[in-house]
Amino acid sequence: MEKLKKKLGSFSFWNWVIASIIFRLILIYFPKNLNLSSRPEVSTPLTSFRRLAEGYWLKQSSMSPYAGSMYHGSPLLLSLLGPLTLKRIEGQPNHLLYSLVSVIADVVSAMLIRSTGQSLQLAYFRSLESLDLVKQIEGSEVHSSGDVAALVYLCNPFTIVACVGLSTSPIENMAVILCLYGACSRLIPLAAFGWVIATHLSLYPAILIIPVIFLLGCGPDSPPRKLFLQRQQQKGVLNQAKLPPGFSWGPIIHFAFWALVWSVYVLVLCGISLKQFGGLWEMFKSTYGFILTVEDLSPNIGVLWYFFAEVFEFFRNFFLIVFHVNILFIILPLAIRLHHRPCYLAFVYVAICSMLKSYPSVGDSALYLGLLGWFVNELSDMQFSLFLFCGYVGVSLLSPVMHNLWIWRGTGNANFYFATAMVYACLQIVLVVEGVSAMLNHDRKLRSLITGKPQDSKS
Amino acid sequence: METFNNPKPVLHLLLLPCLLLYSSIAFSSSVEAAMHTNNWAVLVCTSRFWFNYRHMANTLSLYRTVKRLGIPDERIILMLADDMACNTRNKYPAQVFNNENHRLNLYGDNVEVDYRGYEVTVENFLRVLTGRHETAVPRSKRLLSDEGSHILLYMTGHGGDEFLKFQDSEELQSHDLADAVKQMKEKHRFKELLIMVDTCQAATLFNQLQSPGVLAIGSSMKGENSYSHHLDSDVGVSVVDRFTYYTLAFFERLNIYDNASLSSLFSSYNPSWLMSTAYYRKGVYKRSLEEVPVTTFFGSVMETIHTDAAYKALSRRNSGKFEAQTSLDQSVHHSERRTPVKVNDRDETHNINPEGQEGASKCPWSTFCNKFLKAENVDSLVNYGLVAMVPFLMISMWLVR
Repeated sequence: MEKLKKKLGSFSFWNWVIASIIFRLILIYFPKNLNLSSRPEVSTPLTSFRRLAEGYWLKQSSMSPYAGSMYHGSPLLLSLLGPLTLKRIEGQPNHLLYSLVSVIADVVSAMLIRSTGQSLQLAYFRSLESLDLVKQIEGSEVHSSGDVAALVYLCNPFTIVACVGLSTSPIENMAVILCLYGACSRLIPLAAFGWVIATHLSLYPAILIIPVIFLLGCGPDSPPRKLFLQRQQQKGVLNQAKLPPGFSWGPIIHFAFWALVWSVYVLVLCGISLKQFGGLWEMFKSTYGFILTVEDLSPNIGVLWYFFAEVFEFFRNFFLIVFHVNILFIILPLAIRLHHRPCYLAFVYVAICSMLKSYPSVGDSALYLGLLGWFVNELSDMQFSLFLFCGYVGVSLLSPVMHNLWIWRGTGNANFYFATAMVYACLQIVLVVEGVSAMLNHDRKLRSLITGKPQDSKS
Repeated sequence: METFNNPKPVLHLLLLPCLLLYSSIAFSSSVEAAMHTNNWAVLVCTSRFWFNYRHMANTLSLYRTVKRLGIPDERIILMLADDMACNTRNKYPAQVFNNENHRLNLYGDNVEVDYRGYEVTVENFLRVLTGRHETAVPRSKRLLSDEGSHILLYMTGHGGDEFLKFQDSEELQSHDLADAVKQMKEKHRFKELLIMVDTCQAATLFNQLQSPGVLAIGSSMKGENSYSHHLDSDVGVSVVDRFTYYTLAFFERLNIYDNASLSSLFSSYNPSWLMSTAYYRKGVYKRSLEEVPVTTFFGSVMETIHTDAAYKALSRRNSGKFEAQTSLDQSVHHSERRTPVKVNDRDETHNINPEGQEGASKCPWSTFCNKFLKAENVDSLVNYGLVAMVPFLMISMWLVR
């Protein structure tokens, strides 16, 4: 982490961006995309581009794109990306056009992350000013969190692999980031658009509505409101203007209206597109139904496939409910505890979703690792960061090896591969837990700086 | 198969009289049964092990014949229970012969096996026939026939009194087969079905068949065995069965334009050559066997129209009009003239016009819907909608500022 920070100083932001784009283009020109699109870590039944090509072909042959349980995505993606599956340019790699689209999606996401990070940092400094803590913080290193986050997102091997490996993760990630950007910059139609599209493409970003509501109601991340009141009590001044604004319902209603408008628009388009193939019910059954009922048990880097391969039919519904409620139960306590930091809440939600979703892939991890970059300043005291970094590197190296041992050589079995998947899940859990406790410690540190009391080092 | 997913119940009521009106105008010939529009072949080899080489050679020979006479791979379901071509005991790797002169390699370049090895089970066979598959079974493994299909079902292997042995471990019984055929008939999965069985006591396998439109022929009767034709001393096993050998001998004399009838096929089987009695059962099959050409089941008399445009499902009623059942020579010229394309356009407008005329007087919204939501317009509408999203977004953001 330290080396990276030093290098950032010497090598400017835009150089890194251009280098990552060139690296992606080089990888695209390798033959057959380095077989990345056949890796289970990269392409899942939901994000595989090959399945999108099959769905498009089925649609062109006047059959339902969901026939044969191959394609499970949105019909709008079919209309948008479908023609790209057919165009073949002489002498170029097969899916060059789609790879270029995903490179562009990655760059757009990085730019949006950067500007959101900048506005977050501005809000952070403003809140520090109103707390009169600027001098204490000035001593320690402060990084431009927007730049760091954007570069982490672009240069992350997971993102590069998801981009080159022909999956639809870059587009899904772009929708999520668009939603958060819109919410941070108070562009309510854009936030609603991003949220609706992200939920439409994959079901899980629906829970991001809670951070978006907090972002629109209260504003970007800031220390707890209590601290401002305490500071003003200390000073003996009660300046209402210097307090961060309280929760306002106006933007929320505005957001609800725009979300409704965009949802109706998207659903009408989907309904028209699938009119002769069973309509919207067929679409919901094949997309959301497929996600929720975990029909496909092919191995991936998550933990659900192994479990549902061995569960008895009688208990299958019960365990489906358990796994999905697992995500839902975490939403409320986190929302209560972190309501003053909605962007961080969004990061935690994205991390939990990408760990517990039905078909995770490295593209989902790429998203939350990029969002982690927004909080480098607040999370600078996070424990186990080296352990996590080495863990991620180790899992991403071992997991293909175990897959090869299991499937191709036949000398291993599913337990080998599932072991790396479990380690990966453990690493993500450690990351989320340590991240949340580091953020709460940061808040405690601020409180101790204000009140002058000695702080607790661990919660 | 064309379902009208129209939410307005009024239009449902209007459709029925319109369709009846249209069908009575457009059709001079009787339209009570569907026209023959496509051909399918289900070829099943049920035996494993090297010494059952001849069963696989039988099936592959039929596969070759059926492909040669015009049925494409998409319409053939080939089920082979074992792999003889790449068997370690095969002296000629990747080659399967049905004659000791080794003139023909049956396992050539374009053999597409749909069910291989242990996938050939009674359960999968019955699933193929009845069409009840799991959701994730690919289309190439499904029998996607409809009420205008003629299906050839050829089974070979070891059998006995009212059963057929699968994989040396399970049996298909005659009542299972009869039940599957009955289900197929109820689900309108075939117009006519020819079952050809080459096993010992083959005729007993269709004792229980009662469905109309089903013809069945077996290589031997109850109490008789079916024998192999000759032994290939080079390969080391018998390479073909007698019944299939003589069937192939009949077909090798034919090409795609020939008019030989089924009765000539059935009468070509000589009991002294077969060393068994080839017995066929007409059952409730309406047509006289002299009138039915063999290509009704073994070939495909559909003409192909080459087009680069996206294939949209054509209405089945009119595509049968151009089937040249009497003279096959004209079929070649038809495709060059491309008249069927024009007729199908007319067919589509005919489909929509009656509703439009009736609808205009009663429900202007439904005519508006029908005009703008025809098959070709849907895709462009969705594309316009998608493209319009971006300026809509820009405008909404500008408005809110």
